[in-house]
Order: sequence, then C-alpha cells, then structure tokens
Amino acid sequence: MSGRDALAPHALIAPGQTPAAISAKVAGLALRPRGGRAWRLATLAALALTALLGVGIAVLLVRGVGIWGVNIPVAWAFAIADYVWWIAIGMAGTFISAALYLTRQPWRSPLSRYAESMTVFAVSVSGLFPILHLGRPWFFYWLAPYPDRMGVWPQWRSALTWDFFAILAYLLVSLMYWYVGLLPDLATLRDRAATRAKQVGYGLLALGWRGEARHWRRYRTLSLVLAGLAVPLVFSVHSMVALDFSEGLLPGWHSTLFPPFFVAGALFSGFAMALVLGVPLRRWFGLGDYIREIHLDRLAKMVLAAGLVVDYSYAAEIFMACYGGDRHELAALAARVGGAYAWVFWTVVGCNVVSIQALWWPRVRRCEAALFAIGVLVLAGMWLERFMLIVDSLYRGFLPSSTGLFHATFWDYAFLAGSVGLFLLLFLLFVRWLPVLSMFELRRLAAEEARA
Amino acid sequence: MPPLRLPPGVMATARRRLGGTQGARFWRSLEELAGEPGFARELDGTLGRLPEPDSPGRRRFLQLLGASLAFGGLAACSGPPAEQMVPWVSRPGDMPAGQPRFYATVLHDAGDVLGVLAESREGRPTKIEGNPAHPASLGATGALPQAAVLDLWDPDRSQAPLRNGVASSWDVFAAEASDWRARFALDGGGLVVVGGALVSPTLRAQREAFLRRFPGSRWHAYEAVGSTQAEQGARLAFGRPLLPRYHFEQADVIVALEADFLGGMPGRVAYARAFAGRRRPEGPHGMNRLYALEGTPSLAGAMADHRWALRSSAIALAALELARALDVAALPASAPSGLPPAQLAALAADLVAHRGRSLILAGESQPPEVHALAHLLNQRLGNAGRTVDYMAPAVPAEPEALPGLAAAIRAGQVHTLVLLDSNLAYAAPAGLGLDTLLRQVPQVVHWGLHRDETAQLAAWHLPASHALEAWSDAQSFDGTVAIAQPLLAPLYDTRSVHEFVAVLMGETVQDGHAIVQSYWRTQPGDDPEAWRGRVRGGVAQPAPPAEPAVASAAFLHDWQPVAADTPLELLFRPDPTVWDGRHANNGWLQELPKPLTQLTWGNAALLDPQLAARMGLSNGDVVALDCAGRRVEAPVWIMPGQAAGCVTVHLGYGRRHAGHVGDDLGFDAYRLRGARAPWIAPGLALAKTGRRVALASTQDHFRIEDDAPVRELDAAALASGTPLRQPPPPSFYPPQPQGEYAWGMTVDLNACIGCKGCSIACQAENNIPVVGADQVRRGREMHWIRVDRYYAGDPARPRLYHQPVPCMHCEHAPCELVCPVGATVHDSEGLNVQVYNRCVGTRFCSNNCPYKVRRFNFLQYSDLTGEALKAQRNPEVSVRNRGVMEKCTYCIQRIERAHIAADRGNRAIADGEVVTACQAACPTQAIRFGNLHDPGSEVSRAHASPRSYDLLEELNTRPRTSYLARVRNPNPALGDEA
Repeated sequence: MSGRDALAPHALIAPGQTPAAISAKVAGLALRPRGGRAWRLATLAALALTALLGVGIAVLLVRGVGIWGVNIPVAWAFAIADYVWWIAIGMAGTFISAALYLTRQPWRSPLSRYAESMTVFAVSVSGLFPILHLGRPWFFYWLAPYPDRMGVWPQWRSALTWDFFAILAYLLVSLMYWYVGLLPDLATLRDRAATRAKQVGYGLLALGWRGEARHWRRYRTLSLVLAGLAVPLVFSVHSMVALDFSEGLLPGWHSTLFPPFFVAGALFSGFAMALVLGVPLRRWFGLGDYIREIHLDRLAKMVLAAGLVVDYSYAAEIFMACYGGDRHELAALAARVGGAYAWVFWTVVGCNVVSIQALWWPRVRRCEAALFAIGVLVLAGMWLERFMLIVDSLYRGFLPSSTGLFHATFWDYAFLAGSVGLFLLLFLLFVRWLPVLSMFELRRLAAEEARA
Repeated sequence: MPPLRLPPGVMATARRRLGGTQGARFWRSLEELAGEPGFARELDGTLGRLPEPDSPGRRRFLQLLGASLAFGGLAACSGPPAEQMVPWVSRPGDMPAGQPRFYATVLHDAGDVLGVLAESREGRPTKIEGNPAHPASLGATGALPQAAVLDLWDPDRSQAPLRNGVASSWDVFAAEASDWRARFALDGGGLVVVGGALVSPTLRAQREAFLRRFPGSRWHAYEAVGSTQAEQGARLAFGRPLLPRYHFEQADVIVALEADFLGGMPGRVAYARAFAGRRRPEGPHGMNRLYALEGTPSLAGAMADHRWALRSSAIALAALELARALDVAALPASAPSGLPPAQLAALAADLVAHRGRSLILAGESQPPEVHALAHLLNQRLGNAGRTVDYMAPAVPAEPEALPGLAAAIRAGQVHTLVLLDSNLAYAAPAGLGLDTLLRQVPQVVHWGLHRDETAQLAAWHLPASHALEAWSDAQSFDGTVAIAQPLLAPLYDTRSVHEFVAVLMGETVQDGHAIVQSYWRTQPGDDPEAWRGRVRGGVAQPAPPAEPAVASAAFLHDWQPVAADTPLELLFRPDPTVWDGRHANNGWLQELPKPLTQLTWGNAALLDPQLAARMGLSNGDVVALDCAGRRVEAPVWIMPGQAAGCVTVHLGYGRRHAGHVGDDLGFDAYRLRGARAPWIAPGLALAKTGRRVALASTQDHFRIEDDAPVRELDAAALASGTPLRQPPPPSFYPPQPQGEYAWGMTVDLNACIGCKGCSIACQAENNIPVVGADQVRRGREMHWIRVDRYYAGDPARPRLYHQPVPCMHCEHAPCELVCPVGATVHDSEGLNVQVYNRCVGTRFCSNNCPYKVRRFNFLQYSDLTGEALKAQRNPEVSVRNRGVMEKCTYCIQRIERAHIAADRGNRAIADGEVVTACQAACPTQAIRFGNLHDPGSEVSRAHASPRSYDLLEELNTRPRTSYLARVRNPNPALGDEA
C-alpha cells in the first residue's frame, strides 16, 4: 500500500488535494509541451499497427473478404469476434460514467473520463468491423431505411438491421455524452494554455464555456438526459448483438438467454479493459492521488461480479443443452468441450472462470500487477469466447457433411492487431491532448471530502 | 426510301441462319433461305411474308436490298458454318430471339459414345443435354459430357499448326505430306498411325483407304483405358471378338465382378438408367439384387445390396468358386479366394433361382479369363440372349499394339508416326518407355486439341477441331451410329480428324462435311432426305441385331489362376473426372469432387483403414509406391471399403503439358504401370516419406455417422407402408402466400448412383465459377448442388450412400429471416430467390442455413477477362461478382421460359415442361421436379410415396426438396450382413 493510500484508505481522493492542485496536475498533463519518450514510442507502435490496419482495409476492398479465412460453413469469424469484443469493451465506460452518475456514486469521478473515452474509441473501432466484413462494404448503407426510387427497405425481421441502428445510436449518444462532459475541462485548458494555438484550439472546442451558473445548470440537465439515454442504449446495443446470434437456429446460438449474458459479458470485459488502461495511467502519469487503491479495488470487484454472472451463463448453457436433450444441442456441446476447438473452450474457462477467482482476495485487488495481468487474461478470454461462440458453433452444422474447419490467415490477425493499434492510437492521442481525469468533478469531490 | 424496319426477332433469326457465310455468297444464301419452308415460317410471325424472289417489284427489290445490307452485316458475326445444319427440336410455337436451339450431335470420350443435344445460343454452344432418342443417352448425360462445352471454349486450346514449335500453316504441312505420300506410296512400312478408339464409321473407312493406299503401314487404336481385356475375354469364350451388351432391365440378380457398369464402362449412362429402373420398389417387376465383388469401391459397388471387398487378384478365384458352386465341370484348381462358403452358396442359389433372369459381368480390370468365365456362366444360367447379348466390334482390339510399336521404334522401323490426339508420351504404360522412344522417331506428327506432352516431342503439331466444331459420326456401345454436326465454325485454324486424314492422304475432298456425307452415301437408303433425317434425329443407324454366340469352356484348360500371394497389390483405375488425363485442363472436371473420395484437383493412393492404421498414415501423408522397380510418391487417402492388401491409384494426373488448369496436379500413375498387366500390379512396396501435402477434399471428414441424413428402409418397413414423413410441427409463422404453382423437387436416394452429373450440369447451366484447389481447401467451392457421401455399418465393410443436396427452398426459410436487406425472399410459387443486386454479403443467411447449400463469392471467382470463357456462359443467368451470396434457384430461368411459353399459349405449364439442369443430366432420373399443387404431377406422386421424407424435418423448415429413402434388397439367406 503506497503512502498516501495508507493515510486515508477509504477516502476517494488523497488528503490535501485542493481544486487548484487538481487543475494544475491534470491540465499540466494535457498542456505539457512535449509528449515524452515513452509516449512517442507507444504512439509510433500504435501508428504502425494502425497502418497495418489501413493496408489490410485497402487489400480487403480490392480483393474481397476472401483474404480472411472465412468459408462455408464458417462464414463469420475474426471480424465478427473483433466487433463483438470491441463493442463489449465500450460497455464499462458508459456504465461508469452514466449509470454510476445516475445512481450518484461519487467514486466514479476519477475513472469516468478515461473510461468514457475508452468507450467512444472502442465503439468507433468496433463499428468498422460490421462494415468491413460485408461482401460489398460500399453498400453498407442499404441497411438504413432511406427513401429511394425503388421503394426498397431493410428487412425488419433481421437482427442485423436493428443492430445497425443500435450501434449507430449508441455511438452517437456516447460521443455526445463524452463531448458534453469534456466542455468545462476544455474551458480550463483554454484558460491555462500558454500558446496562442492551444488557446484557439481548446477555445473552439470549449464552445464558449465560461462557467456561469446558467452554463452549469444547462450542463447538468443535458448530462442527466444523455446519461438517461446512454444507459438504456448500452443495454439495447448488447442485447441486439446477442440477438444477432439468438436469431439463428444453430445449436450454440439459438438461445433466449443470450441478451442478459451478453450484457454481463460486456461489463466483464469492459471493466477488465478499464483496469488494463487505468493501472498504467495511474503509474506513468502519477495519478495515484486520484485513482486510488480503493478505485482499483472497486473495479476489481466489478470484474469479479460480472465475471461470476458470465460463469453462470456458461454453466446455464451446458445445463440447458443437457436438460433440453435436443440431439443437435448435445452434439454441439460435445464438440465444444471435446471437438476441434476444445482448446478454445478450455482456455476460456481458464481465463474467465479460474483467473478471476483470485479477486476474492483483497490483497490481489490492490496489487497493480496482478490486476493488470488478470485484466489482460480476461480480455483475451473474452475475445476467445466470442471466437468460440462464432466459429465453434458454425464449424459443424446439422448435417454431418457440412463440417469445415476455420483456419485464420495473416489478414485475420492483421485486422485484430490493427484494431488494437487504432484503439491505442486514439487513446494515446487522448491522454496527450485532453484531460485524462475529469477536473471539475475531482474539484467537487475534493471540496466535498474537505467539507466532510 | 425509308429503310426496311426489322423487328428484333428477325435479326437473331437471320444471324443464326447466315452466320458464317461470306459476303460474296450472300445472295445465294438468301435464295436458299427464302426457298426453305422452315425459314419462311420463322420469319412469318415477325416480318410478314417475304416476297417471291422471282417477281420483285421495284419497291420490293429496294426493300430486299436494304435487308440484304442489314443481313450482310450480321453475317460477319460468328455463327454456325455455312453448311446446312438441321435443328432437331423446334419448341412449340414460333421461336423468338434469345431462345436456345438444340442440335442433335454425338460426343465420344475414350470409346464411350453419347448422343446429345447441344444447346446453341446465338451461335454459341453453351450446354450439353442428353438426346432422348439416342439409346446410349435416353435424355441423360452423366458428368463428363457436360464439360465438353468448356473444352470447346478452353483458352489453352491449340490454335495454329506448329512446326518444331514454330508457327506454321496447313499449306506447309500439306506440302510436306505430299513428300511423305511419295515416299510411302509403294512401301508404307515406316508409316504408323496411332489414334484413339475407332468409334467413327467414317474414320474406319478412311483408315481402310489409308492402309490400302500405303501398303504395309499400320494404324493402331490405343486407349489407356479401353476394353481390351473384355474383348480378349470374349475371344477366349467365343473364339472371335465380340462385345457384350447388357440388359439390366431384364436382370433380377446381378453379379458384378469388379464391373463398374455405373461409372466406368462404355454405355454407363444407359446402363445406369436400366439398372435404376429396376431399383424402384414401386415398379412392376420388383427390385433387382446386386452383388458386387471388388477391390476398391466403385459406383456400382456403392449401390450393391451385397458388396464383398476382395483383393482384385482374388476375384478370379471367387469367380471360379462360384462356377464350382454352379456345377461347371473341368475347372482348374485354384487357391481359396477368402470368400466365406456360406456367402458363395447363397449367391449360387440366388443365381440358380433366377435362371434366365440373372447376369454376371466382369470389369475391364479383371483378366480375360474372368470375362470368359462370366460369359460361360451366363450361358449356363440361360442368361445369354436375355440379360446379355453380343455384337461384333467393327475393328478388333489389338492388345499387342503398343508393345509392338515400341519394338518397331527400337528396331528403327518407324519413320513417320502420326498421332491422332493420342498422348503416348504421357498415357502409355511406363514399362514401354515410349516417352523416350518417341524421340527416336524421325518424324512425329501430332494432331490434337492441346499442345500436350506428345506434341512437345512432335515435329509437327496440328490443331484439332473440337467435337462441336466438326462433322463426324460415332458408334455407341450397342452399335447405334449417330452423326455429329458442328454448332459453329471452328474458332481457330483447326481441322477435324477426317479433314486431317484427308490432308494427309492428299484427297481432293478435304471438307469434313463432304467426307462424312460421302461415307453415308455409300450406306443403304441414301437420299438427301435420309441424310437430313439421320442428322436431325440424332440416330443415323440403329443398333445391329445380336450376333449368335456360343461360349465354349475350352479356355478353362489353359487357365492357371494364380493366388494373390504378395502382401500388397497396386490397382489402376481411370480417374472418375479427368479419366485417363484427357480432361486435365477442364476446370469443371478438376473441381468436381470425385465420387466416393470427394477429392478435387488431384489424385491419391487409396488405402484401406487397417493398413493406414498399421503404417500410421493419415490422409495427405506422402508415401513412396514401389512396384517392379518403378517408384512414384503419392499422398494417401484412406478409403473405407477398400479391400485389405489393395492400394488404388488413379490415372490422369501428373500432367506436365495439359494447360494452365491441368499442369502439375497430383502424381502420374502411368509411371507405375507395366506394359503387360495394365490393371493389377502385384508386389507393391509402400514406404513412408514423412512429407505431407494438403489434399483438396470437399468432405474431408470421415466418421461413420450413426444418425446419417440418408434414411434406409428394409423390405419389412417398406411393406408396412408406414410413411416416413411426419406431419410438420406447428409454427408461429403464417403460411407463405401460395401462387398458381408450388415448385418442388424429390431426390430418390434409391436411384442416385452418385455420379455427380447433377453438380456439373448445374455448373454449366448456372455460370458457376471454378475456384481452384486452394479455395476448395479453404472450403469455398461453389457447387449449387453437391453430392454428400456417407458411410454406415461396420467400418471394415461399410455401406456407401450418396445424397445430392440442392437448396431445399424451405417454406419457412431460416435464411430469409436474417437477411438485413431482403436480398433473399420468398416468391409466390415457393421459390426461395436470391437477389444478387441487393445482396451486401453479410453471410448471415449461410450461417443460418441448416443445409449449408449457400455459396459465397469470397473473392472475384467469375473470370471477367477471359474472352473465350465468356462465350460459354448462359445468357439467361447473371454472372455473380465478388461479395454476393448465391445458391440453387431451381433453374428459375427454365421456369420463366416455361411461364412465357404457357402465357403465350394461354395455358397452364404442363407437368414435365420444366426440367432443371440437374434433373436433365441425371442418368437414373433420381431427381424429379414439378408442381406440388398438381396432385397428378410426377413430383407430387413421388412426394406422396411412403419413402418420402424431409431432411432435418425437426427444424420445421418445411423444405420443398424432399428425399425418397433408400431401400436395400439383401438376400434373405444372407441376412443383413452386407
């Protein structure tokens, strides 16, 4: 336990933090003239991966989705796994910034900004995949109901149509919520900026925020409305993602239990990503005064809680297959635990069931390295879970003849790595140019703590 | 004067009529056309009556002149050549432009002759259909003939004469040929011609003239996969060459001694029809019973009620044991075959009980004595003249032709060797060493479709016209002769075989049409009308009557059967799709999964599972095959049902100069083939190499399914009459709106022999692209109708099943539900239609299809650049580009054509008017298609059969495609032990 955490372990902000100190620290990070060596190296690496994604997209558009390993029967694979994985990672940010906001949980304050940025970037990255995985990506807008001469509409019974709306709505609302939340802090940066360029830049972004009571009143109303919109949307988007699979009649997909389980799975991976990003942030930018061990502890508890629901869903699926007794479901279950992709299943169990049990111990929940490691394991496990859900269900069908294995190609891995690169690039740009913590909320938190 | 306005239909009619004529000949052509009643009738509907050419008024004359200019332009387009061609079928009513026309012609393929109707669209041959009037076809084609159109349009075809690899001309060749004629006129000893099977009567006549003209010259007919053993067997039994003709429709009990009459014999299409006709349990004569004894699984074996896997060399012993059980005297002593005596006794009893209605036949892979014994047994059982009769071959086989040629070359006696599309450098047994010997011949002249391995060695390579470009004739397995008429002028500077021989001989008449016609003038009953009738109907000369034949048992004295005493023997078989290698450059045939192995784009050494387990080999492991000092490395494929101790290799691969498609695929099994025993090589040694190759199989997985989607009934279940089909479970979805017709299909699994003619016919009809071995390995083959293969029963003695799977056209289609853009929708006649233009390629429909019949264009598979290939395509079917889903449409273009014809006649579409491409090609009529609303339609009657069931009916998708269960008819004395 580090020194300041030991002083007041249950305080949400380190003792002695004044509003001025908070602004100076956080704004200083965004306004520092140079990014630092580590940041530059990380950005360079992220840029390289993003360039790989760019090349991949170009090759994809020129040659077609056949550059991936998809086939008949496994017509979906990495792209959809990547999509579900990224959109699920977005869940935690919205949950922390909106749901905990609505339920008045002050401990969220130091986490909300970076978690919400994570949401926006993850959802943006995930949104690429449903478009790119199309056979003819340039016609993706045919999923939208727009008036045209032919009078052709989307097919409303398909979950994919609704998924399109769900992602779009979710992306727009979280983008708005994120930006609105940034406004007071952008104004702070404008006021503290030393160079003309930054003053103008942040000034334009701050939309003329002057901190008047009027502004704050409108800000609170708008935040409440957007938070109120974001919370149901985050549930709808993950339910829709789940229905993309539930609607299918494949054993392994055809399950009404998927929507709540997908929400739990999204929370699980989202909180894991919040840990994986929060731990280095705290360490490298010296934010231990704000992101305290109590925050890590609570994030870890959320991971554990969501993880247990996910584990329950695994058990429920196995139980339902046995209880239902349908021969196709039983065969799918047997293939899952003992078939060609059994290693995926057992790795998932190792990552998502076994590894999180360490979080029962408070010592683990306060150990940065352990939390980071568990977070990475959970992220890997959740990606593999999506891979299992998709490929393991598709590779053997109802007819014995339609069995076909999936073999990933270079481009499958390139798109996965490239999407991680793009996400990291966006996140690195965020930590360089925008306040990584919500200054005004921390100032209020400090004031409240001081009053208490 | 205003120009004469031509309605659109006339242009095409005229182009069809005039295509290929030269401008200078135009007027004569118009006179011919105007005078021909058929043409006047065709023009009637669109243009009004043409004026009488002998009394033109001034205005009429100018109008005609205008028309002539228009027509003259059209004639520049390619079309049928200028000779008269007579359409076989006129569809009812007049024929507007865009309608396909069908010409009766005949295709021959390594001695197998099939009368066909070639479909021509605006002068381009696009599809092959069977000719119902031709006894070898009866309207069906099977797999290989379907690919003929692709051969025609193959961009790798040889296009101009080559002299030592340098472009030359026919004139130069003709000049050189005249020198040879002078040289060989008195003594033709150094002149040898080697060609394929002599099925063409015209060519036989030309051959005789050739041999007369050059005394001492020789003309051999060699086929790598021929019927030499069968002919020699007949010679042993009857003392003269005879060819058997089987009558499966008369046979109640059939014993096939490694005789693949469904997949490997000339006449297989007709045989399959006759055989399957007796497999219908509903039929008036009941079901036949097939016993198959074979070393490696074949299509006939897969249909057998009792399939006994025996080493190929032990089948002779089993035949002797059977003869002994049938009380044939004076049999030579033989070692035991390994067949249990109880089985033999039951088989013998069954044969005796069906005296006169049974049939024993031997396959080409068996030695002549087995054939002779089969003839003898048939005679003893009273089958001769009933289930089998005999006809004399036009040209007796020469078993020693190739060894004799090799010896002559070695002795320096061959000066000029003329090869008529005979690829001796590749397809001769390695034991003869002909590929090196050919280099010693001073002058090799090769005439062929491709610049193949032999053409590479030849001084002259001369390009051949394709069968659809040339006049010819051919005699099929039963003796029927049909005339081949061209559908278009040769695409390149090529000559037909008749024209080539005429050039060689310096004949004054060098036009193929004239040569063939002049032969037929020598036939009885000749007049111009008879010629037309011969061409039009597709049958020029009916089958000859049976020859009287009495089998003698004398050959038994000289027969010393040898026991199979080496641990392993090597069996050679023609490849089911590329045959002896001649179709290696045909992408359709390369990609067609081989029946039973489901391999594409290559061959493998087939091993029985026990041997593979003993040697620790799995599919794709490369082994070294060592046989009589010859060694070839080959990947392994484990084949359930393969007899222990037998390894099978297929000929036709390892081509080095086949073309862009066929080069360097698989391994060359000819390298292992000895000169004397062409089908069985004893003393094989097998060694692991440790290498592996990835074989491209479409159904790699190989487990014996306990819950196979193929259902099978026994006699008791069939007699009970309990329908297999359950009433559909209730559904939340409203019924689909019902239109005037409810299209449906049934597939009779009891008739399907697994030849895959349906797959390739569908490919030809629906412009389905070829994707290549790499894409097949990735699971991206595009066939709209696949034929699944299943095993059941004891893994050591599995039963084999085939199941064609097209789109089921579900009433409650899971694919329609999940498409976000409505690219797959239901129509009022029950078709599940795919709208390519609308498809964005989410592929959810395929994921949700429980039958996995949807095919996706993962890459740009359709060749949009090859000009020759474009001409092959069916203009009625969209060519799909990358990124869209496709699948079986029930040949919606054929349904629409029937709709248009019916609407014009103000009538309903009759039953049988819509024939899907798969249905048309099926030799056994296993596929039926029609209107389920009409209770009298054939498909409705099949649907109502107690054997009818739906695939995966528990999913309640309510498919429109249903299946008829397979029925086995085992010998009650043997029980169900197979």
